[in-house]
Amino acid sequence: MSQSKDTTIQEKITELDGLVAWFDSDEFTLELALEKFKTAESLALGIEKDLAALKNDIQVVKQKFDSES
Amino acid sequence: MEKTRFSVSDFIAITNQTLEYAYPSLEIEGEVASFKINQDKYVFFDIKDAGGSLGCFMTVWQLRVPIEDGMKVIVTATPKLTQWGKFSLTVKSVRPSGEGALKKSFEILKAKLDSEGLFALDRKRSLPPVPKHIGVISSTQAAGYADFIKIIGDRWGGVKIDVAHVQVQGADSPDQIIRALQYFNTREELPEVVVIIRGGGSADDLAGFNDEQLVRTIAASRIPTLVGVGHETDESLSDLVADVSAATPSNAAQLIVPDKAEVVRSVRYKIQSVLPRVLQVISDQRSLVRESLERALRAVETQHERTEDQFYRLRRVLEQLDPNVLLKRGYALLRGETKVGSSVEIETYTAIIKAKVEQYEPK
Repeated sequence: MSQSKDTTIQEKITELDGLVAWFDSDEFTLELALEKFKTAESLALGIEKDLAALKNDIQVVKQKFDSES
Repeated sequence: MEKTRFSVSDFIAITNQTLEYAYPSLEIEGEVASFKINQDKYVFFDIKDAGGSLGCFMTVWQLRVPIEDGMKVIVTATPKLTQWGKFSLTVKSVRPSGEGALKKSFEILKAKLDSEGLFALDRKRSLPPVPKHIGVISSTQAAGYADFIKIIGDRWGGVKIDVAHVQVQGADSPDQIIRALQYFNTREELPEVVVIIRGGGSADDLAGFNDEQLVRTIAASRIPTLVGVGHETDESLSDLVADVSAATPSNAAQLIVPDKAEVVRSVRYKIQSVLPRVLQVISDQRSLVRESLERALRAVETQHERTEDQFYRLRRVLEQLDPNVLLKRGYALLRGETKVGSSVEIETYTAIIKAKVEQYEPK
């Protein structure tokens, strides 16, 4: 469960980086800026929500290590 | 009473059975003397104190830490009477005893492994920035383990953490950690990193992490390793050989996953950093528009001035061409045929005169 969610966070961060970079690129236009900003803001909120919801999955392995098996 | 009669072999066997029953495993502390290795296989030395000396035997592969004459050690052994009637200790393990011996053993093994390049920086692999699967080797009862799990949970989530519960001190500890490392290294789904952690303790408690076979197993791990053993000031050979060494188990948790609070701060900063850029562009474009307007206005004004000048110049020329100006200066206009007897009209500035040509002579 956690793996796919974590991947999504990474993808969202990468996408956010791309959007932020667009604002500093030659492709920047004021006409598109508002739309891009809204997308970036929504991504940021999504990342925060995903991070808050993530839990680690801890399992103690059954194998014993106190003797050769 | 009848006396029991044994053959020599039987007596040796019975003595050994008795010894084994009485002392299945005992620890003896003393100083090493006459240490030697025969045929690269068999280790012989004496262990002594002020009151006596005992012969010891073990195999090279059982010798997990370097020892030398004069070093104080604890041997775990079973007593044995050999077939030649010599009493000796068959040693299962030997470990340095006391701070001086531990330090000496540590330095000898460190120099040996260093000369083999096991601690070389170019061997170090980097850890994955955000691991999704971690193998942890520790005692689940240890405070250091609890710290690690708490901090990793506070910092990040979504990580699959497989924990191999092992002893992290005592004679069995190195072998258990080795087996756990081998376990993770032979999984079908390998963890992205293996973390070995243990909280602080005395030099003797942490001595297992200077075990030669353990150090070599860490070096041979297919999976990148992170070792966080003891406190900030403790340095073990396991720390030195690991791909990444953490000062403490808590520090290991900090090194292995990012801090989600930090990520949230970074994400917010990214969004905030965009706004000044947008405002700057709006300001720049507003300035450009204002400058363009001012330039256009200046151009209109210049053109207007130029046209006005041209108009005044032409008007002055026109004024000069106005016949009335000439008439005003005293000239007159003559209309009609210029031959003798014709009637002509003469216009001055103030009058129009009818006249007759009385004489005509070309110039």
